[in-house]
Amino acid sequence: MNAIILSAILGVILMFSGIFVTSKTAIRNIATAGMALLLLVNIAEQGGFHLFNVNTHNMLVFSKFGLLFNSIAFSATLLFFLVSAKDITNVGINAAEYFALIFFISCGIAIVSSFNSLLLLFLGIEIISIPLYILTGSDKRNLKSNEASLKYFLMGSFSTGIMLLGIALVYGAKASFSMEQMHSSINAGRNAWFYAGLLLVLISMLFKVSAAPFHFWTPDVYDGAPTVFTSFMATIVKAGVFIALVRLFDMSFVGSGYDWQLIIAIVTAATLFIGNITAIFQQSVKRMLAYSSIAQAGFMLFGVFSQNDFSREGIILYTLGYSLATIGIFAVLIKMKDYTFEGFNGLARTEPVLAATTTIFLLSLAGIPLTIGFFAKYFMLASAVKSGSHLWLVIFAILCAAISVYYYFRVIQSMYFKTGLAETEPVTPVFRWLLAGMAAAVIILGIFPNLVLQYLYF
Amino acid sequence: MSSIPLTHILFVSTALFFIGMYGLFTRRNMITMLMSVELILNSVNINFVAFNKYLYPDKLDGIFFSLFIITIAAAEAAVAIAIIINLYRSHHSIDVEDATEMKY
Amino acid sequence: MVPVLLILIPLITGAALFAVKQEATAKSIALLASLLSLALMLAGMSGYIDAAQMTYDQPWLGGINSRFHFALDGMSQLLCLLTTLSFPIIIYSTWNNRYDDSNRFFGLVLLSQAGLLGVFMALDALLFYFFWELALIPLYFLCSRWGGERRIQVTIKFFIYTFIGSLFMLIGLIMLYFKAGGSFAWSDFLNLKMTSGQELGIFLMLAIAFAIKMPLFPFHTWQPDTYEQSPTAVTMILSAIMAKMGVFGLLRWLAPIVPSATFLWGDNFATLAVIGMLYASFIAMRQDDLKRLVAYSSIAHIGLMILAIFAPSYSGIQGAMIQMFNHGINILGMWIVVNVIEQKFGTRKISELGGLAQKAPVLTILLVIVALANIAMPLTNAFIGEFMMFNGVLGSTATKFGLAYTIAALVTIILSAVYTLRMIQRVFYGETNELTSKATDISFNVKLSLAIIVVGIILIGVFPKPLLSLTSEVSADILGRMNLK
Repeated sequence: MNAIILSAILGVILMFSGIFVTSKTAIRNIATAGMALLLLVNIAEQGGFHLFNVNTHNMLVFSKFGLLFNSIAFSATLLFFLVSAKDITNVGINAAEYFALIFFISCGIAIVSSFNSLLLLFLGIEIISIPLYILTGSDKRNLKSNEASLKYFLMGSFSTGIMLLGIALVYGAKASFSMEQMHSSINAGRNAWFYAGLLLVLISMLFKVSAAPFHFWTPDVYDGAPTVFTSFMATIVKAGVFIALVRLFDMSFVGSGYDWQLIIAIVTAATLFIGNITAIFQQSVKRMLAYSSIAQAGFMLFGVFSQNDFSREGIILYTLGYSLATIGIFAVLIKMKDYTFEGFNGLARTEPVLAATTTIFLLSLAGIPLTIGFFAKYFMLASAVKSGSHLWLVIFAILCAAISVYYYFRVIQSMYFKTGLAETEPVTPVFRWLLAGMAAAVIILGIFPNLVLQYLYF
Repeated sequence: MSSIPLTHILFVSTALFFIGMYGLFTRRNMITMLMSVELILNSVNINFVAFNKYLYPDKLDGIFFSLFIITIAAAEAAVAIAIIINLYRSHHSIDVEDATEMKY
Repeated sequence: MVPVLLILIPLITGAALFAVKQEATAKSIALLASLLSLALMLAGMSGYIDAAQMTYDQPWLGGINSRFHFALDGMSQLLCLLTTLSFPIIIYSTWNNRYDDSNRFFGLVLLSQAGLLGVFMALDALLFYFFWELALIPLYFLCSRWGGERRIQVTIKFFIYTFIGSLFMLIGLIMLYFKAGGSFAWSDFLNLKMTSGQELGIFLMLAIAFAIKMPLFPFHTWQPDTYEQSPTAVTMILSAIMAKMGVFGLLRWLAPIVPSATFLWGDNFATLAVIGMLYASFIAMRQDDLKRLVAYSSIAHIGLMILAIFAPSYSGIQGAMIQMFNHGINILGMWIVVNVIEQKFGTRKISELGGLAQKAPVLTILLVIVALANIAMPLTNAFIGEFMMFNGVLGSTATKFGLAYTIAALVTIILSAVYTLRMIQRVFYGETNELTSKATDISFNVKLSLAIIVVGIILIGVFPKPLLSLTSEVSADILGRMNLK
């Protein structure tokens, strides 16, 4: 509860600070301090310290899993602020509003990680989505940004409509929005409504996490949005929606007596395939990362697919690993003058620190051992093997992981093995140190993932 | 009072939903598309209210949900119109066919 | 503690070398570190260090029950000795090669040594997988950064090939993990009760990884290109040590764990090995490039080891064990010669060379001994290994085709004599030409490196007992699990 209320308050504070504070540096500092505060408060709640005592009538439940996820999402956002805050303020004149919107999105993430009622799921998803439409179009002079925002809005509101219809049908069948009622046997005669409703909710959630075949909006939106916000969208937001999907599946689908696994397996395979294959053909690193985020979503879908302890640990690690690596790569990408692969040629000579850290992030995305990305993929694959069925999916996934090496390593090849003079914006030493710190975190967590996972149990 | 059966009302809401969907996919005018989205959301509202009234009249869950939907729809419309105005300023058109900066 | 130190010495030195700027200093530090690990290894093997120090077992990941478990049994000692012996020779024999950013070059070389040693010592499946990949990453960078013209395409092919293999292996290991009730320990894998279908699935998953690494026909296509394009020092690591990772994997992680599937599928793999040997030998005969010639001959030699493992008998397995070591040092000798020729003349084309024997007699003598070992002449080390393997394949009770395999393998030995001797004849005898007429003999570091190898070749050829007794226990254990003698 701490995080939900505080992030909303912080959002409002930042909105007003846009009126009263003129210095961009001050706004950045307020936002970063606010995010740190949010993280602290959430960690405090993990330790059993509640700032607010609100009776949620069981519409929200705060599990260890959800709170740990919040902590990870907030620390990722904090890192995102630390490395990219300057670029956020450079997007347009309304610097404070961008931060405010990000705080509102954090509020939405905190809601979906603890919802226990379909009403709260819907509200959480909308609180995440609506600010994102604005952030996507925040570069007002840029046509691509406007267009992306429009596409995102149309697709997003369409999928919201589908989700609402689904919830309506579930409500018709079960007389309640509470997740606990999902398995109640009242009105068994209306099971058809229930299943149709669940399917519609599932489809709309797949829309939001950009799983194939509902992924087509993703590359355009990620490409068009200002790069800083693409970074935020592709990592923290996507993971947030994933948590909602995992929780939804955990509580309502499993045990509802239907082979949902097969549907998820097919969606997973399609997502992996489309994401990886199309990423190969991209010429722009930004677009490649957009497709790679689809491919990574395919791996995260394993967490939905297998539903056991391994998958819960896996989705936590995946969120962390994927967010760390992608935020890092995007932070470097923003500094590049040229977003194509050729633009990275010879970066190892001009900016060795950026090149080295990017390499570590890319290795993590590809799932090479010694990085957290390996353990993320390991837990996902292990969870699928443990669930026993659909071994073909596991084999398909590793083939796709091997394909992903090809396009991730293209960036490494450009940076290290090709000659050229990669041009970057001026980079401060602090930025370099931050990136190095993130890379170190990727490696340390890649050797001792227990540092994070222990919080799931204690 | 309940002379109109539930199925009739569900027919209306389903029809509205698919009209909205049809509009979203075929219209090229951004304002019309926005209206189609609103149509979809409102058809769901009808669903909720009808379910509540006919099936579970002793509680008000469904009606409250529709209140939330109305609020969210208003917020969405506000954002959408802002986006459309912004596009209109640069394109001088509200036809989505003109918004084709990005191709695969 | 010995295993941990063996890994930490190259790991820490390798990482530290990235900060060293002077070229000569970096080179010397790398050589010192590799000599230090050799000394530690020798001290460990000579019994100077308490036997309890040869294993290391500490918890690592509590949640998934994986441990830092290293141990040096006979087979590990053999391969670690090969690794620790090869690295000083590799660094020293290529002392005069020039690299840009040489500190990074040697740093990555040492990192790959750490990975390789970890592979040979790990007794925990997840740890094994970790080091398996860890050995690969530095080599990827070495080949791509300092390699030949087509290096970028070639090494990405190499990387993706081996990465697919290792992911299959990972799935196999995860399946074993759940079968073993949530444990990654090698000892827990040994006595699993599995249906033949499960065993076959796991066998195939693991075998693909090892087959790609060795490489086994038809998974070999990355190998000649990569060997050709890599800088020769890296080619030495790849062929002398990394190819042994696959053979080692067969002997440690495949045959003892899924013995009945290995038995049932033995003939298929043995046949592939024989086809690969013949194929590689014929291709080697038509090569004009020295590096490609040695690369294909390496496929043929590794093929014989695979054959001996999949048509098993005690003598064959022992032969494969000792041959892993022998092939490692022999091919190192060949590569050193290739490196000398390439550095001196800037070409590796056999047709452009000739008459080197007059100009470089020492090199010629040493090379001829190495080459004779390569074709398994009596009194050389390879003769012992290959003879034992032939003997083993012929007498194997696991296969009905022992005789056919032996004959086919003998043909490849003859072919290898043909192409090796023809290469020597063309490069070292005959008329000198414009390019080779100004040649000089080899420098001291190459002489010394080759001399060490030649001494090793003859010593093992005459007195192979210590090496054989080192691995006898492990070999007997593997055969015992397959219910064979």
